[in-house]
Amino acid sequence: MKNPFFEFKDFRPKKREIPLDKIIASKEKVMDALIKAYDRLVEQEAKELVWLVSYHSVIRAYANAEKSIKDMQYGVEDIEEFLFEIENPSRLPYPIMGLCGLYISALCNHIKEKEIVLDLQNKNINLHLLGYRLPKGKRLIVYGDLGDFTGIGLNGGELLVEGNAGNWTGAGMRMGKIVVKKNVGRRTGEDMVGGEIYVEGKILGVGNVRYGRIYEKGGIVSP
Amino acid sequence: MKQIPKSTWIKIRKKHLFPPLPFPKVKKGQERAALEIKDKQIYIDENFLSQISKKMQENDAIEALLDHAIAHYTFCPWDFATYLKLYAEAKKVSKNKDIAKRATDYFMDVVVDTYCVKEKESNIPSLYKYMEKGKIEQVMCALYQKIWGKDLNVSGFDELVRKLMRIPYINKKRWKEGIRRFTHILKPLLEEQIYQSASSPFGDHRSLFSKDSIDKGLMELALSSSSPQAFGELVNDFKEELQEKGFFGNEVGRGRGQESMANILYYMKLAQRYTLSLKKLPEKKSGSIYPHSHSPWEIEKPYQDIDIWTSFGKFLPGLTQVWNRREGEILYLEEKVPNCLIIIDSSGSMTDPRRNLSYAVLGAACACEAYLKHGSKVAVYNFSDAEVGGKYLLPFTQDRIAIYKSLCKYFGGGTYLRPTDIKFFECDDMDIFFITDMKISNFSDVVSYFNNIENRVTAVHIGESIHSQRFALSVSKKNNISLYHVQKREDIPKIVLGKVKEYLHQAF
Repeated sequence: MKNPFFEFKDFRPKKREIPLDKIIASKEKVMDALIKAYDRLVEQEAKELVWLVSYHSVIRAYANAEKSIKDMQYGVEDIEEFLFEIENPSRLPYPIMGLCGLYISALCNHIKEKEIVLDLQNKNINLHLLGYRLPKGKRLIVYGDLGDFTGIGLNGGELLVEGNAGNWTGAGMRMGKIVVKKNVGRRTGEDMVGGEIYVEGKILGVGNVRYGRIYEKGGIVSP
Repeated sequence: MKQIPKSTWIKIRKKHLFPPLPFPKVKKGQERAALEIKDKQIYIDENFLSQISKKMQENDAIEALLDHAIAHYTFCPWDFATYLKLYAEAKKVSKNKDIAKRATDYFMDVVVDTYCVKEKESNIPSLYKYMEKGKIEQVMCALYQKIWGKDLNVSGFDELVRKLMRIPYINKKRWKEGIRRFTHILKPLLEEQIYQSASSPFGDHRSLFSKDSIDKGLMELALSSSSPQAFGELVNDFKEELQEKGFFGNEVGRGRGQESMANILYYMKLAQRYTLSLKKLPEKKSGSIYPHSHSPWEIEKPYQDIDIWTSFGKFLPGLTQVWNRREGEILYLEEKVPNCLIIIDSSGSMTDPRRNLSYAVLGAACACEAYLKHGSKVAVYNFSDAEVGGKYLLPFTQDRIAIYKSLCKYFGGGTYLRPTDIKFFECDDMDIFFITDMKISNFSDVVSYFNNIENRVTAVHIGESIHSQRFALSVSKKNNISLYHVQKREDIPKIVLGKVKEYLHQAF
């Protein structure tokens, strides 16, 4: 029997490719890797999907985050894209803000670029612990507000927050500089052993500062 | 006036798999936009065409413009519902309606142009290469250079483009997150350009949609909105466009009326989602007798009933036939659905329909829709403290807007129902829906009123109280009154609809 569709044998829908296809494919590959690494971190650190901040848990989680992103190739845009994914529950079902902050800190600390700009404005997220151990020579600029423990253990880098920061900002920082354009919360600079914190708005409360300086609206408040 | 070659239109239609669109026209435009699309009619601007044809083949330009216009119908936004969804996402990021509208326009243009370039081998890149560009168009062209791999004579904007080119424009499932990112990235630039020129070079997309598409879009928006306020906020952003299509009355834009109008639309669209198949109720027998069948004529029978047509003009017993008459047994007996009176409580203990979704109002609206659909009239008695003027009486009408307006009114005061007010509406064929929480000050008057009427009454009361128990007890012997105690407010529409169905399907 003759194939009734024989007449149409020559019709093959052409599969055209444009550069966008490649860009999206390579970006998705990196994003998948970043999300997988974050999921591993959640599995390791927050078994009951609860993660409590303590001196040891932060150190351990950061070490695990560093391990999970080892040898990974990514750029600033990928970090920014990851921030978008935090708002998207279909791809990132367990966005624990403390762990996310630590994970992004690890990504920022190990990226090639010296200056990283993250835009958190109009995003429904409140990241904690961002800027953890930011090393010397790195500059992290954040547009929008940050949560608690911003810039803790800062290690010589420069953190600029174009917004508010929460409690315990700059706690335990060793050296470097934190500039907050608006207000910060309580216990600012708790246990800091060096560096400077500049707050252009109000400081709700200063912690026990060992060494280092804290400025409020241009005036020194500690020591 | 220039004309679009028929062969070009045939070619383009074939390329886009024959979309049901009328033959496009060339128009002398006053605006900067190259295209205007109104209710599926595509207009190409003559001035733009003359300008661009100096730099490229006119036919290629027409093809590119038509590709762009058709892709708006076949790919993005497709319908008003998709457009609203995209706009809502852009608004979440931009917090400004003008920026959100512009961002949505640009995003949709990137989507359709990329779709055309990838799937339809379009001349759109040449069009962009030669057309005049503002700052945002330059950014868009720089983006196109990257994502299409074509040279469009633009340089710079690397940082913006690096971010924009990561959005999966062709992936429909990811448009929502895509437009959020797109708006976020372009927001500073859009803010900078907000007071300059028209939006996209291909015009805005608000006039793309037909009334049906807008109707469906509003219905979907009402379903997905978290509250009437959220719905109202979004709908008010398009009040001019909706007004043009006849969705709003004249009162839009004047103080409180605006909010109220959006509410009405919200409840109207939600209520229209509930459909009910209805059977009409037969009317009473009129008492007149009508010819029904034939029987042989006999000598004693009167002459006046003889049917001369079937008797062949003969007066012969056995051959001549007379009409037998019966009361009301005629084939064309008129059937009619009774009218409906909604008595709705809008006292302080009820939900304010303007702030939150009021299931009492929605339930009442569902009943109204069912009765209106069958040509019946609806009256509304909206009461709070009726004694001191906290009431609104709408006589029997078929004016949907007036009905919804009276349902959406909220007094928020005490609760006092005057039975004499209800007497104002009284008629024989009238079903009554009474939606309240039963916390009525003159409760005994209300009970005695309902005990004395014969109309079918459905009373829906929300929450348990002594009043509701007393009401249930006092009307328990009345067969015409059905009382529903509602624990969950969201059950009200279903109860009302269930009862409407029962009433209208009941055999009489």
